[in-house]
Amino acid sequence: MVAGCEDGAVQDAAREDLELHRRLLAGDVGAFDDLYERYSGVSYGLAYRLTGQQMLAQDVVHDAFLALWRAPEAFDPARGTLRTFFLSLVHHRAVDTVRKEQRMRDRNERAANLEPVAVEDPSESVVDRAYLGVRRREVREALRSLSDDQRQVLQMAYFGGMTQAQIAERLEIPLGTVKTRTLAAMRKLRGLLEAPV
Amino acid sequence: MTDHEKIDGLLAGYVLRSLTGEDASEADRLLTDHVPDCADCRETLTDFQAVSAELALGVDPVAPPDTLLPRLHRELEPRERRPRGLATLAVAASVAAVIGLTGTFLQGQRIDSRQSRVDALARMFRFAQENDARMVSVGPATQVAATGTDEFFLFGENVPAPPPGTVYAVWVESGGTVRYVGWFYPDPDGWVVRRYSIGGGPYERLFVTIEAAEGVPLVPGEVAWERTA
Repeated sequence: MVAGCEDGAVQDAAREDLELHRRLLAGDVGAFDDLYERYSGVSYGLAYRLTGQQMLAQDVVHDAFLALWRAPEAFDPARGTLRTFFLSLVHHRAVDTVRKEQRMRDRNERAANLEPVAVEDPSESVVDRAYLGVRRREVREALRSLSDDQRQVLQMAYFGGMTQAQIAERLEIPLGTVKTRTLAAMRKLRGLLEAPV
Repeated sequence: MTDHEKIDGLLAGYVLRSLTGEDASEADRLLTDHVPDCADCRETLTDFQAVSAELALGVDPVAPPDTLLPRLHRELEPRERRPRGLATLAVAASVAAVIGLTGTFLQGQRIDSRQSRVDALARMFRFAQENDARMVSVGPATQVAATGTDEFFLFGENVPAPPPGTVYAVWVESGGTVRYVGWFYPDPDGWVVRRYSIGGGPYERLFVTIEAAEGVPLVPGEVAWERTA
């Protein structure tokens, strides 16, 4: 959990996102640019991590932002923050891209840890906005708190885009064990990363 | 393993997009048949989705190529400059006539810049036509609903914005059980056009509350408006 003023910064960011979404509903390109400035770095980093290729990562981020522009009403403020909605969208598209490309085997080796990908030369790293930096530290601490087994299946699913059946096959463990470890990991993260989001 | 233990496991796999085969089918079924009516599952799903999104922060941010934003800008322009089609105008005019809208809506300039609103109204019009729908007031909004469907629309003009950081939440009540069915937030012109899909059969009451714009409300707060027969 973050303390006092950091909580406030994160919640202020969520409120600003809500205002940007309201402007987006009205077709305000300036609001789109502001959201791009906020989330393009984290989105591209995630997409690049999953796809392992700059062109594919660029397409993923492009498609996600375009989807947000074309159907901003798809975001329901009552179901979470805009950041949650948008990063889920990016992740889903990246996973779909990975599966379409069917090049998972090589990528999964890279996805098995949280070190920066170094196979291709990515664009320069960017500095987080302050509130994202706060949250980033929390997420990494939470991931470190998982058992090795739990972290492994979670990373293979989330950062590797692998299905539970593929994980079971790769690790040579029963599918039920993958499910159990996944649920345990998600529950633990849920407790550790509970609001503010 | 309890039912909810199994459901939680499926929801965890679902938000990670890692289910296949029977598990994926079972998750789809649960998301349609069970989760909408189960407060615990809705909360679990929302929380797992938030966790899944936060995991994106587990990797370092990387600046996308400088060409990406200009590429996006080139594709954003059509939405602002989309030509006004005769068919769209005809449907819009029909909608306006049927639901009694006047004034600003029919000013062409506004239709151009509010294409998505017109599209939503057109969808609502089709729904009303195909289902012999009825209209009932809900505060400054109107519900368009039909017997035998799981859908209804809410639309309204001059709907006041809720206080900062809040949204309007829509609820239905049946046999003493209250269900959250969705939200709405008026656009800058005060317009609302939104479709809702509900399960769980008929309901006797529909009302709107003002809720914090974070998370799924589990219990309705103070009622802002209620459907009048």
